[in-house]
Amino acid sequence: MTIEQKVNAANAQAVEILTKARPVWADVQPAIDVIPGMSKNTVLVPGPPLPVERITPPIRTSICGAVVHEGLAKTKEDAWEMVLRGEITVEPAQNHQCGCAACMVVSASMPVMVAEDRVYGGKGYAPIHPGPNPKCLRWGFYDEDVERDLSWFRDHFGPALGRAVRKSGGIDLITVLAKTAGMGDENHNRQPAASMYLALQVIPWMLDDPDPQRDEMIRHFAANDRFFLHPMMAGVESITKSIKKIPLSTVVAGMAGNGVEFGIQLAGTGNRWYTTQAPVIQGTFLNPSYTEADLLGYLGDSCVTEVYGLGGMSAIAGPAYLRMTGSTIAEARSRTEKARAVSLGEHTFAPIPWDDFKGFPVGLDARKIVGLNILPISHGGSALKKGGQGGAGAAELPLECFKDALRAIHKETLAQAEQEG
Amino acid sequence: MDCEKIMRLFQSELVVVNVGPKLFAEALEKQNYQTVQVDWKPIAGGDREMQDILAVLGGLD
Amino acid sequence: MEVFVKIERGRYVDSLETLLASSVLNEQPGIEIGCAGMATAPGKDVLESVGLLTEELNACDGSCYIIAARAESQEAFDRAVAEVEASLAPVDEEETETSYPTIKAAAEGCPRANLCSIAVPGEYALGEVKRALNAGLHCVVFSNNVPLSEEREMKELARKKGLLCMGPDCGVANINGAALVLASINNRGPFGICGASGVGIQHVAAILHEAGTGVSQTIGTGGNDLKNEVGGIMMHMGIDALEADPETKYIALIARRIGDQVLPGLLERISRCKKPVVALFMSCDQTTVEGAGAIWARDLDDCAQKCLALTGQTYRLDTDEEIQARAAQAVALLAKEQKYVRGAFSGGTFMDEAMHALIPKVGEVHSNIALRPEWQLPDSQVSVKNTCIDYGEEEFTLGRPHPAIDPGVRRPAIPREAADPETAVILLDFILTPPGHMDPVGYVLPDIRRAQEQARASGRELVFVASVLGTDADLQNVSVQRQKLAEAGVLVCKTNHQAALLAGEIIRQKKERDEHGL
Repeated sequence: MTIEQKVNAANAQAVEILTKARPVWADVQPAIDVIPGMSKNTVLVPGPPLPVERITPPIRTSICGAVVHEGLAKTKEDAWEMVLRGEITVEPAQNHQCGCAACMVVSASMPVMVAEDRVYGGKGYAPIHPGPNPKCLRWGFYDEDVERDLSWFRDHFGPALGRAVRKSGGIDLITVLAKTAGMGDENHNRQPAASMYLALQVIPWMLDDPDPQRDEMIRHFAANDRFFLHPMMAGVESITKSIKKIPLSTVVAGMAGNGVEFGIQLAGTGNRWYTTQAPVIQGTFLNPSYTEADLLGYLGDSCVTEVYGLGGMSAIAGPAYLRMTGSTIAEARSRTEKARAVSLGEHTFAPIPWDDFKGFPVGLDARKIVGLNILPISHGGSALKKGGQGGAGAAELPLECFKDALRAIHKETLAQAEQEG
Repeated sequence: MDCEKIMRLFQSELVVVNVGPKLFAEALEKQNYQTVQVDWKPIAGGDREMQDILAVLGGLD
Repeated sequence: MEVFVKIERGRYVDSLETLLASSVLNEQPGIEIGCAGMATAPGKDVLESVGLLTEELNACDGSCYIIAARAESQEAFDRAVAEVEASLAPVDEEETETSYPTIKAAAEGCPRANLCSIAVPGEYALGEVKRALNAGLHCVVFSNNVPLSEEREMKELARKKGLLCMGPDCGVANINGAALVLASINNRGPFGICGASGVGIQHVAAILHEAGTGVSQTIGTGGNDLKNEVGGIMMHMGIDALEADPETKYIALIARRIGDQVLPGLLERISRCKKPVVALFMSCDQTTVEGAGAIWARDLDDCAQKCLALTGQTYRLDTDEEIQARAAQAVALLAKEQKYVRGAFSGGTFMDEAMHALIPKVGEVHSNIALRPEWQLPDSQVSVKNTCIDYGEEEFTLGRPHPAIDPGVRRPAIPREAADPETAVILLDFILTPPGHMDPVGYVLPDIRRAQEQARASGRELVFVASVLGTDADLQNVSVQRQKLAEAGVLVCKTNHQAALLAGEIIRQKKERDEHGL
């Protein structure tokens, strides 16, 4: 076999997994009980690894909040001292098959949603979306109100969701995507239809929950039209688990930003990150006084949904998001066409009615991105340097990390050739 | 030689994929033929190192 | 600056739209900061944070759509509001042309596509041709400077797949009536042409058209197809295809130089051909061609005539006597010092043809691509005695399109040659093609007129001789182009060969007159 044939075969395997996997939201459990490699003093953070001294202020707040929330420190200041002394293990969530959107972090006692890929057996995790209140750990805030919410999630909401989902036998995420195909979600930054459909599946199982705060929990759940993002991220993580061990594959298996750098992972090299300066989200601002100078670079793990072909990759499925971020239908179509040009597979379970019922692309091939010089466009919310969401829009994925990734795979082919003599 | 595919071309309506300057596509459209345009760019934007790597790794069919 | 507000009670605008509206508002001149949205509690929070929450706005409830801004003036605010409203109007998207990032995507997006026209830098041609062939598309490849080994690779793949690969370096092809690359638009008819010379194909096809018949298909193989390294793969496939095509009754083949290893196989193939073949093989003698059972043609004009003879038609060209008579009229106008012909061509085939026609009449012909090394011009910008220059050569076209597309390449030729008092005749070719200049004659007429006026002012009369290659179906219409030349006093000939003969004859007669005082 030529090297190209080997790479093609590896990629075909990765794409088969991406398209045939069946992610199911199966449970909610404390992070420490389910996430491999999690310890009492571990905090999982979004994005590729970054030396602690370069961590951006909102993430720093989230880490410190989590440390205080865990009872490891009394104040945020003490918590940061612990981080600097190396007493807190700060690791990229995606290295643990966990996805932390925006400025969210995960610590030991936090409830995480568990997704299982029932075809290939991988598991993935994500914390629960906090709801519409902008003041939350997910956007880099921590105070008494946020602590009260975190505790409520830990003690009431998380366990109750877990009970409901377990009773339901698990929520098949592909069914949610299929049922809501044609309802205008692109499922990264906009998912009201999927969130509603998901709630329809889960709420019946919550109605006889023994927790006295049951009604408040149902109200909270039903009011969150972005809820679906997080189980979907867990679902994608459960799938990428199975593709991160296919040598020589150039298929993208992970991507994220930490506010400073943007990074990708390839199926061929597992949890190795290829990073470069993070792009800034271009779009609209939530507050007219904001400017680009107020924004951090791309931040968060939510773009794992893009790895699965959602968000910017299937922009034409969710044209409303383009309108909201100051763009056009033509641009939505172009984003999906660009993704198709550099993707190896297609999801057929959620055809897009106004795109001739075509499916959405999946399996970004770094070779095509570099070779065709076509940069896929990811959707995303932007974080403010001071914490909070600044706006929403999209960013072109930076070319340099894909080039680095190809250099690494090329090196592996040379090493392999040497071994074979 | 088997001319089946060429005969099929001769007996079909001509529809041209144009790779390169639009001039040629416009010329065909002036003659009322349908064209589709490919936005051609040099491989890897002309980056020689990447061209060499991609020559090995392939994938640009 | 002052805060201005506009409140619309009972109007609902979704947050989807208001984000965009706010963006537009803040881009307007005279607006320091502004905000558009529903007056809900979170909406008011935003207004408050930017200092726009007036009492009036605070009194609004969630059923009000509000636009507020700190603006220079009421006028600036009103203008901005109008812009915002315009931005919310339904977008009437233009019919955008779809284009695709790759050939594969284009072929999948347009399953009816059956041919791929490729004009990319030569070093990238092989890759793109392979992609097109692998997508099941026939190819016409205008790219040049493709290594012969790569040309062979693409043609071998094409042969394996049973697909045409016309070119690289293919200038002319007519498929199903369409003029591809730099071809002319032709009537359809019973003649199928396959050739390694673009202008050659175009020329023969144009005469067939003008004679009232036409071509079924024309297949340009690219100039290097018949070299040993390529092996004539496309010429063989072209013959096979034209033989199999029920619309093709007669076949014409055109080639300049044929590799010694390619020729025997080609002659053998011709000898097996079930349809009549007219062959113009510039490097072969008559016996060889006729030995393969083909009808021999001497030159392009003759090739067209031999084709027409098969259907009992003719195409009237000027006789030698007529050319001599036309020349004599021109010679009478020339001043004593005017002795030489200066040819300015837009391609190599026509220049070669012209030089071959000139030599018997005028002797040596200098050129940037000379027929003999000793006639090579030291400087392509400086003509020597009788000179022909090919402006299609790379030294002129580097970074510019072919002269048929961009006649500007040849533009300096006329004033330069006209300024030389020894110039008697300026010989020009014009080539019509859909991607070409829409009025190539009109483009140079001012230069021709100016040259004539300047010559007259110096007591000379410049003779212009020209031919136009094309048809009356071409977008530029060959008759119109010829008419414009004739009206400007240019001696127009039906073919390039005839134009060269006339130009040569003028020089010959002038020399005779000068030497013998006739």
